This record gives sequence, C-alpha cells and structure tokens, in this order.
Amino acid sequence: MRTNGLTRNRMCCRKVFGSMLFMVACVVWTGPAMAHRVTIFAWVEGDKIFTESKFGGGKLVKGGEVIVYDLTGKQLLEGKTDERGEFSFKIPKKTAMKIVLQAGMGHRGEWTIPASELGGTSEPNPRPTVSQKTGSKMPEVQAAKSSVSLEQIRRVVEQSLDQRLKPVIKILVESRESSPTARDVFGGIGYILGLVGVGAYFNYRRKSAEIEGKKTD
Amino acid sequence: MHISEGVLSGPVLIAGIAFAAAGTAIGLKKLDYDRIPRAAILSASFFVASLIHVPIGPSSVHLILNGIVGLILGWGAFPVILVALTLQAILFQFGGITTLGVNTMIMALPAVFCYYLFGRLVSKRSHIALPAAFVCGALSVFLGAVMVGLALTFTEENFLKVSYLVVIAHLPVMIIEGIITVFCVAFLRKVQPDMLPGNSEKTPPYAP
Repeated sequence: MRTNGLTRNRMCCRKVFGSMLFMVACVVWTGPAMAHRVTIFAWVEGDKIFTESKFGGGKLVKGGEVIVYDLTGKQLLEGKTDERGEFSFKIPKKTAMKIVLQAGMGHRGEWTIPASELGGTSEPNPRPTVSQKTGSKMPEVQAAKSSVSLEQIRRVVEQSLDQRLKPVIKILVESRESSPTARDVFGGIGYILGLVGVGAYFNYRRKSAEIEGKKTD
Repeated sequence: MHISEGVLSGPVLIAGIAFAAAGTAIGLKKLDYDRIPRAAILSASFFVASLIHVPIGPSSVHLILNGIVGLILGWGAFPVILVALTLQAILFQFGGITTLGVNTMIMALPAVFCYYLFGRLVSKRSHIALPAAFVCGALSVFLGAVMVGLALTFTEENFLKVSYLVVIAHLPVMIIEGIITVFCVAFLRKVQPDMLPGNSEKTPPYAP
C-alpha cells in the first residue's frame, strides 16, 4: 500500500512537472508578439486622415471595413483597408470623429480623433503670439509679411512638418503595439493558482467541520 | 474566436450571459473539490493557448484547446473557460468584459457537447480512442466557429457566410487541435487513465 502511494506521488510530481514544462514551452514558443485582437490607429496629415489597421501580432488587416462616425453617431463615410492595412480619406467635417474598424468574424477596433487634432478653423489664429515670440526678428517677419501672406507660410510649414513627422508617426504606430508580456502570462496563471487556493480553503473548512461533527457525536 | 466589444447587440449579450451563468452554475456543482487542481491546470493551459498563434490562413487565429478541456472536465469546462476568458480579457485585451458570456458559450458549449459525444469512446481500445480524440479536438473548434456565426447572425451578417468564413479561417487550428488532443489522450491513457471520463467511475479519484 505504501509503495503504491509512493509511486502515485511520484507520478503526480511528474505530471505537474510535465504540465509546467508545457506552459513554459508555450510562453517561449509564442515568440515576440502574438495576439488575437485588432487595432486601428489614425492620424491627421494636412487635410487628410490616415489610418493603419493591424491584428495583434502585427498581421495587417486587408480588406477590413472602416467606418467613420462623428460623435453623435452619424455615419460620415466608409471604406476598405488596402493591402498594407491602410486607408486614408479627406476630412469630411471639422468635428471629432470616431473611426471604427470591422475586420470580420467579430473583430472590432476603434480610434477617436478629437477636434483639436484637426486644427479647426474655429480656433483663433496664433498671429499675436508669433509676433511676440519673434520680437527681435520683427523686421524679417514684416518683410516676409509684405511678400507672402501668413496663410501661405502656415501651409508651407505644415507641409514640411508633416513630411518631417512622418517617420516619427510611423515609429509611434509601431511602438503602440502592445502584445501580452511574460508578466501578463504568469500573472494570469497566478490568478488561477489563487482560485485553487480558495477552493482548497473551502475544502479544508468543509473537511474540518466534518471531523468536528464526528468528534461531538 | 473572441468576439470584440461593441459588435453584438444587447439581447445577444444578455442571452449569452444568462446561458453562460447557467452553464457555470452546473459546472461548479459537478466540479468536486478533488478535481479542482485538474481544472486549474486545464484553465491555465486554455489561458496560455490563446497566445499560440497559427500563422496559416487568411485571418488571425490561435489555439483554443476547448476539446481537451471538455473531454476531461465535462460541465466543469464552463467555469474553467469563464475564468480563463476573464483573465484573457483583462490581461491581453482579447474579447471584452461585456462579451464574456457570449464568448464563454462559444467555447464551452462545444466542449460539453464533445464530452458527451466522445467521453466514453476515448477509454475504449486505442484504434477507436485515438481517432475519436482527433475528431473531438477538431469538432470542438468547428462547433465553436459555428457558434461565432450564430452569435453574429443576430446582429449583422448572414449566418452561412459568416460561419463559412470562420470555419475556413480555423481549418488549420482544427487539424492542430485534433493532433494535440490525440497526444493528450494517448498520454493520459498510459499515465493516468482515470483522468479520462470513461474510466473515472471505476476508480475513485483518490484511493486510500
């Protein structure tokens, strides 16, 4: 009987060890980033809005449906992502927009663009601050003013800024990708072990109550 | 196979929560204390399996393992899958909190179904048991895909079209899970046969 118990014990150990190995193998096998969710990221460039859609893990969403709503829920326009998971459109209205991606089979992601990012015309032009800041270079500014309008300067600056910022935005898009880390995985397993502890606690209470009951009998 | 937040309509979500709650209640009733460690190991495996991404096919799919969970636990698959899905939703942002009920139904109902269908077969002789295990692993994923189609039917698209798409996307997963289930069953038959459902009545889980 005793040896039987021992082999059973050893078997149990082996089983637990095996399953632990399996889990570690899983974590290692998953590699850098694998996931099952879908995200869309949108940014403003000039008078257009660009979006990029991805499944978690970096797989691009091809032919996913993109629908643009304003904040009251009115549909503004819709389109499909291309081979590179991108979709761009001209700003239809200067309001905050909710961009929803439907990648099919119950996958859905969304991104909101606040009105402030659109550089709405309703905002006052930053003309006074410009002249104050460049107070020492006043003559130059005035010279520029005389030949080209401020509106033109603004457009040129915006264009070159957009061009300069393009790689930065690209990096932002890529770094936004947050895949589950090892910490998440082990955290989850820890929660499950905690639940086992709760179960074991109630089991113990039940058993000790039984024993108490027998003793009083 | 997780449905994201904001896709399904209210009634579908509520129905999913109600059914999942009922299933979980039955599962907790049937899951006695001595099987809790077993359930926890399977819950952890299910939780981690969703990170194993299968790069074949048009969409983004991952392992599910609901077949083996159902085969070993029966109705206990409901609480086990609910716990794992909750953790996946919180830690990995897979699916969502409001869709927990529907997602639990999608993966746990096929698991229980496969338990009744194959539970007795996997303890029979190996030329019956191993093919049964393969079909169990594959069928549970297939039925899960059909459940996704069913859930989406009420809100947007046409049932056959969606189900077809989801099934096609999960074909590689079905085959892989079939093979995994065969290995698990073959291993358990050798090492711990009383973990398989057909045998559990003959030998009590803890003999003195």
